[in-house]
Amino acid sequence: MANAHAHAALQTFSIENDILNVPAQHELYKFDTAADKKVQQAAPWSKDPHHFKSVKISAIALIKMVIHARSGVPWEIMGMMQGKVTGDLIVILDAFALPVQGTETRVNAAAEANEYMVLYQEGSKQAGRMENTIGWYHSHPGYGCWLSGIDVDTQNQNQKYQDPFVAVVVDPNRTISAGKVDIGAFRTYPEDYKPPLSSSSQQYQSIPLNKIEDFGVHSERYYQLPISIFKSPLDDKLLNLLWNKYWVGTLSQSPLISNRSYAISQTLDLAEKLQRISGSLSSRQPPAIALPPRSSATSTSALMANLATSDITATPGKGKEKETEKPKVEKERKVEETQLGKAVRDSTKIASEAQHGLIAQVLKDVLFSARPGEGIESSTAGLGGGVTGVEQQIAVVSGSS
Amino acid sequence: MDRTPSLSTAGIPAIISTSSQSSLQLSVHPLPLLNISEHFTRTCLQTDTPSPLIVGALLGTQNGRDVEILNSFELVITGHNEAAILDREFTEVRREQYKQVFPSLDFLGWYTVSPYPTATHLAIHSQFGAYSESPLFLVLSPTAITSASEDVPLDAYEAAVEIVERKSRTVLVEVGWKIETGEAERISVDWVARGGGEGGGSLVSHLQTQRAAISMLHERILLLVRYLSGVLNGQAKKDHDAIRALSALVASLPASQHLEFREEFDTEYEDVQLTSYLATLTKTASTLNDLVDKFLIATANKESGREGGPGGSMHGGRGLGGVGRGRMGSGFAYPRPEDTWMRQTARVYD
Repeated sequence: MANAHAHAALQTFSIENDILNVPAQHELYKFDTAADKKVQQAAPWSKDPHHFKSVKISAIALIKMVIHARSGVPWEIMGMMQGKVTGDLIVILDAFALPVQGTETRVNAAAEANEYMVLYQEGSKQAGRMENTIGWYHSHPGYGCWLSGIDVDTQNQNQKYQDPFVAVVVDPNRTISAGKVDIGAFRTYPEDYKPPLSSSSQQYQSIPLNKIEDFGVHSERYYQLPISIFKSPLDDKLLNLLWNKYWVGTLSQSPLISNRSYAISQTLDLAEKLQRISGSLSSRQPPAIALPPRSSATSTSALMANLATSDITATPGKGKEKETEKPKVEKERKVEETQLGKAVRDSTKIASEAQHGLIAQVLKDVLFSARPGEGIESSTAGLGGGVTGVEQQIAVVSGSS
Repeated sequence: MDRTPSLSTAGIPAIISTSSQSSLQLSVHPLPLLNISEHFTRTCLQTDTPSPLIVGALLGTQNGRDVEILNSFELVITGHNEAAILDREFTEVRREQYKQVFPSLDFLGWYTVSPYPTATHLAIHSQFGAYSESPLFLVLSPTAITSASEDVPLDAYEAAVEIVERKSRTVLVEVGWKIETGEAERISVDWVARGGGEGGGSLVSHLQTQRAAISMLHERILLLVRYLSGVLNGQAKKDHDAIRALSALVASLPASQHLEFREEFDTEYEDVQLTSYLATLTKTASTLNDLVDKFLIATANKESGREGGPGGSMHGGRGLGGVGRGRMGSGFAYPRPEDTWMRQTARVYD
C-alpha cells in the first residue's frame, strides 16, 4: 500500500538520521531537583566559555516557537524557554511567549515582560513543569538566524547573571520558503575572551544587505550550537498518525504563491548586492598585474595556488615574506572573492527553491488537469517542462556544491 | 473523520448520548495534540503512575458552528476521582496570560487523557461552565494506538441535556473533528516527524514528499474505484450521497483548464525558469571572473619570469583588461532585466 511507502520513507529517514526513540529519551522528560541543584552549584559553564556543545529541543517546544514566530510576522517576537542541563547539553523542554513585540533586531524584554515571565514560571511549577528558564528565543523574519549587536548584549547579560542560558533564533519566513525549520542556538563568549580562529564554523547563510553590517561586526562574539530534536514515544506515534493526514496539505498548497513576497524581496536584495559587487569589480585594477605576482598567487583560492605552484615552490621563503608584507591587500581581495561567491550561492538558493515550488505545481497540473484522450498535449508539455525543470534544477544544485 | 462509537458498545459510559450527533465543525491543530501528549508523558514520569488524571485548557477560535483549536495549556486540579476540583485561581491567571500573548484565541474547552470519558470527567466538565458557555471536551486515548490504527485516538464531546424517562441528565455528545494545520505548523511538525536535520531542503526529500502525497491520493482513488465497481456488481450498497459527491468531483476535472488560469500558470512557469536562468548567469559570471583572475596571475608570473619582454606581456595585460570589462558588461547588466521582471510579477499578482 502507498501508505506503507510513506511509512517506509519516514522510517529510512529516521534511521539515516540516527534518531533514537528508545525509552532512554524518557529521561529527558524527568526532572531531578537535587541533580539540577548540584549542576547549578558546580556551574562548569562558568569556567569554560565553550562548555556547552549542543542543544536538544523537544518537539513541543520547537513547534510552539515556530508557530509563535510565524504569528508575529512581520514583527519580531520573543519568548522564554524552559529546560535543564545535562553535561555539556542544554535540553529545552518547553517554551512560552512573552507579551513583547520588537521592531527589527531590537527585541528587548521590558519590565512588564519580566513580571509576566516570573508569574508564568511560577505557574508552570504549579502545573508540574519543574524545569527552570534556560534561555530565550526570538524571531528574525526573513534575515536568517544569527545574533545582532543588541541580541549579543542581551545574551551576555543573561549569561552573566542567570547562566546557564541559551539564545535561540527562528526565521519564520525562511522556514516557509525552504520548507524546513530555520533555527539556530547561540551562546556568547565572555567579553574578554578571544575565540580561537575558525573554531565556530558557522554554516553559510544569506544575510540581507541592510543587515550585513550588524551581522559582520558581532559574529565573532558568539558561537552556534548544533540543534537536535527529541520526542517521546507517544509523540512519535501521534506524529506518525498525523503524517497520514498531511498529504492533502502537500497537494493543496502552492509554495510559489505563499513565498512570493519573500522570494521577491530576496531577489531584490540579490540584485542590490550584485550591483554593489559590480561596482567594486569595475573600479579595481587588474589585481595580478598591480600586485607583486607571488603575493597575489598565495592570496587567491587553492586552485589558483595550484596553478602557480611551480612558482611558489621555486622561492617558498620569498613568497611567504611577501604574504606578510601585504596582509591588508590580501584580505581585501579575499572578501571581494567571497562576495561574488556568496551572491552565486544566494542566487542558486533562490532558484532551487523556486524550482521546488514549480515541480509541485507541474505535478498538480498533470494530476488534475489531464484527462485521458483530451488536453493531453498541454499536460505532457507541462510534464516535459517539469522534467527539464527538474533536470535543470539538479544541474544548478550539483554545480554549486 | 468518523470515529466509530465503539466505546459505547463496550457498555461503559452511559453518559455518552447515542442518539444525537453534534453539528459543530471542529478542527484540531497538531500543537494541542502534541501538547496533550507531552503533558501526559511528563506527568506519568513524575508521578510514576501509568494513567494519571491530567487536565488542560484548549484555546482556539469560534465562528458560528466552526470551531478551531489551536493551542492548549496545562491546568491544576486537586482531589481525586469525582471530588476532583479545578484550581480556579490558576486557571484564571493562565487564561489571562495566554490572552495577552495570543489575543485572538479564546478559551473553548478542556482536555484529558483517558481510554473513555467517565463520571469523573463529567464532574470536572461542569466546572468549566464558568469559562465557556458550552465547553468542548477532548479525550486522548494513547492506549488505543495500535500498529494498524490510522486515526489519531482522540474523541471530542460537548455536553447536552437529554431527557430520558422524564428525567433530565447531562450527557456528552460526540463531535466529529478533523486535523487542520497552518503552514509554519505543518513544516515544523513535518520536520520534527523526520527528526530534524537537513530534511525538506534538498531536492530528493522534496520529491519524496510529493511522491508520498500523490501515492496517498492514488490509494484513496483506488478505494473509490473499488467501491464503484462494487456498486456496479451489486456487491456494495448504493449510497446516493457518496455517488453524487463523486460525480460532482469528476465533473470538476480537469481542474485548471480555464484560460486565465493557464496564463497565470505559464507566467509563473516562465518566471521560475527565468530565475534559474539568472542564477546560472550569475554563476557563469562568477566562474568567468575566477578564470580571468587565474589568467591574469598566470600571465603575470610569466611576465616576471621573462623579464626581457615587457612589451609582449603588457599587451597581454591590456587584452585581459578588455576581457574583464566585457565580462562586467554582460554579467552585471543582470540586475536590470530582473528588476523589470520583478515589477512585472508584482503587477500581475498585486
